[in-house]
Order: sequence, then structure tokens, then C-alpha cells
Amino acid sequence: MDSVITESKDITLLEILDRVLDKGVVISGDIVISLAEVDLIYVGLKVLISSVETMERLRGAPFAGAMEEPT
Amino acid sequence: MTINRIVETDAPEDFIEEIEKVQSALPKRIDANPKNVERGLAKLVLTLIELIRKLLEKQAMRRIGGGSLSDEEIERIGSTLMKLENKMQELKVIFGLKDEELNINLGPLGDLM
Amino acid sequence: MNIYTYAIIDSKERLCDYIIGIEGAIVCNIAYRDIGVVVSKLGEQIQNITKDHVLKHEEVVEKLMGKFTVLPVRFLTQFSREEDVLLMMQEFYNDFRENLDRVRNKIEFGIKIIWAGETIRNRIIDAYKRDNANIAIADSSPAKNFVKEKFEKYKIDKEFAKEAEKCIALIVDFFSRFIAEKKLEKLKTDNLLLTASYLVEKERQEDFKEAFERARRTLSDLKFLLSGPWPPYNFIVLTKKTDMFNGKSINQNLASEDVV
Repeated sequence: MDSVITESKDITLLEILDRVLDKGVVISGDIVISLAEVDLIYVGLKVLISSVETMERLRGAPFAGAMEEPT
Repeated sequence: MTINRIVETDAPEDFIEEIEKVQSALPKRIDANPKNVERGLAKLVLTLIELIRKLLEKQAMRRIGGGSLSDEEIERIGSTLMKLENKMQELKVIFGLKDEELNINLGPLGDLM
Repeated sequence: MNIYTYAIIDSKERLCDYIIGIEGAIVCNIAYRDIGVVVSKLGEQIQNITKDHVLKHEEVVEKLMGKFTVLPVRFLTQFSREEDVLLMMQEFYNDFRENLDRVRNKIEFGIKIIWAGETIRNRIIDAYKRDNANIAIADSSPAKNFVKEKFEKYKIDKEFAKEAEKCIALIVDFFSRFIAEKKLEKLKTDNLLLTASYLVEKERQEDFKEAFERARRTLSDLKFLLSGPWPPYNFIVLTKKTDMFNGKSINQNLASEDVV
């Protein structure tokens, strides 16, 4: 009946991105960052998540706990 | 990091899956690169047309649900809606725009559609 | 020069603590009247934006949260001159003042809920098909078939939304007593029933977390996610007009050079 509560680095990052990229005080700085550079963050994040999932599959273990970033 | 913030869930993979679906649309800041000016304009215009098309469709569905339309009227509405949808598809293909891109973020009001 | 902005705080004093921010630059407070904007002065443009920049940005804001009332600024908000920063402060002073007063001593929590959306949708589809199996449309045509399909989807979506509303009402009931403000996003995907942001008084955060546990235990068919405390990202209201395209006028946006 007890569910496993995990603190996952990846979900934490998604929660941060959800807030920091589009919310808060949204005003115009005069230095414009192009779209492509913001995409880099998403691409990096997807790579991290895919490698975590791959590791899970290879280990045959459920997703749990904070994981170290692959170097 | 000295942060006492928690992110607590019993189903992290499920949430990652759903959140990624939501974030898979392009970030909503528009590229100020002049090369993409046309694309930016097309996106704006098509977004507005798509909004109108969806409103028309919804309105039609409400009327049909109300049961007050004749056979002929249903035929006409169906034909118009079909043509509108096909036209939108063509335009999306011509400008290389996907469904998720045809949206505008209204800040605190959320997304237009 | 690049003035990188982290947050607006309710103080005009110099920061007592030594905080290192983005690209190893020191973090300082620029005063404007009785408030301040917390920045780092960078020598040049940030090359290669990565998630480490995001994490560092968030870390700075979190550290400020420990000592001040904070309005977090969106990631990558930068100015080329200090005068521009002060002009911005002048323009938004009233908004910032109002927001700071409103969020003082409050923190944000996020709750996300997953339900068996696909299962429920399939149930509704089956029920609809059963109830409508014997309805024939006279003189079927492409247009009429189009309408029939659209109408079916419309009815099913409507029923699905209705079920979602019922479930959401049960959930929000657990929290209403403990919160100052809420912001709800419903059905961002079929399965992501609810994405909620709650503004909660600091002293009530334990009550709030207990309410979360009660909800999780009671509504055991649902999957829950709790995150926080956050600075009030979802509760900033600016009345000054910023347009939908990154805060610049539409003409400016489409005409300006690419700045990289």
C-alpha cells in the first residue's frame, strides 16, 4: 500500500524549467535571446532523460532516487 | 545546492511523460531573426484563422446538438467545415507549421487555444 | 556589458551575503526607491546556454528567498546598460510594489495530478457508440459523415471535460482552507488532469502538506506530484502592457537584427 516517494533530479529540472522559462516577472530586457538557444536546454534535458531511461531498461530496475548525470 | 525545496511523487516516469508532451511544442518566444520574419507573420495570421475556424466549428456543433437544423443545413455546414479544415491543412503544409505552433501565449491569461 | 537579472526584492540595501551567480559573476542589488533588482554584471554574452545556467539562476533566487520577499524574474532577462535597468524599474515600480506586498510571507507550491484519462475516454467512447448505434443519417454524404464524426468527437470531449471537472472539484476541496491564491490548468493532456499552483502563507505550509497527504491517501486512484516551496512564479501580475512577443512591440520584434 505504501507508494515509493522519490526525489528525482529530472522531474525537479522539469518543474524548474516550467517556471523559470516562461513565468515570474516577464519583461523585455533589451538583449534578445533567439529561440534556438533556449531549445538547447530542452535538447540537453531530453538527452539526460533518455540516458536515464536506457540505464533503467538495462538494469531492469524501477526508476527511483536521484541519479548522477552521465559524463 | 542549499535548497530545501522538494519534488515529491510516487510516479515520476508518468509525470515526465505527460510534462514532455506539453513541452514538446516549441518555446513561445518568437525568433527575432529577419530570416524568420515571414514565418512569424504567417504563424500569427494562421493562428487567428485557426481560432476563428475552431469557434465556427464549435458553434456549428452546438446548433446541431440543439436539433433545430434541417438536413440541407447540416449538409451545407458539413461541406463548409470540411473545406475550411482542408484549406488550413494546406496552409500549414505550405508554411511548414505544426498544430502546436499555432498558438499564442497571453501571459497570465494562458494560451489562446 | 550584460546585466543579467534574477529577481526583484523588497529591499534597497546592499546584499549582506556573498552570492555567486551565472558564469561565476557576483550577485548584487541595484536599488530603486524602496526596492531593488538583483543582478549580475557579465562581461559578454552567455555562450552555450545549458541547464546549469537554469539551475544557477534558480539557486540565486532561492537564496534570496531565505532573506527577502522576492519576485523572480524570467530566465535570460538581460539589459545592456544600467540606465535601462533603472528605466525598467521606474516603469514597473507600481506593479512591483503591489506584487511584493501581495506575496510577502507567502510561497508557491505546485501540484500535478494524473488520472486514467485514456481509460475514461475509452469508456465514454464505448458508451456513446452503444447509445448511438441505431441512429442513421439519411442520405449519407461526405459532408454529413464529416459532421457526424465531428459531432461525435464534440460530444465525447464534452463528456470527458465534465468528468474531469467532477474529479477536479473533489481535489481542490482538500486545499481551499489553507491557501491564499490558486491557479488551475485543467487537462493539459488527456492524462494530466490538473496542474495547480498554490500561493500559501509560510506559516500554513505544514497544514498544506498535510492536506496533500490526505488527498493522496483518499483519492488513491490518482497519481500525485507535489513540488515546492517555490518563489511565486505563477502569481506575478503586471498591469503594464507587455505584448505577447517577449515584451517588445510587434514591429520592433520583426524588424530587429538577430542579436547573438
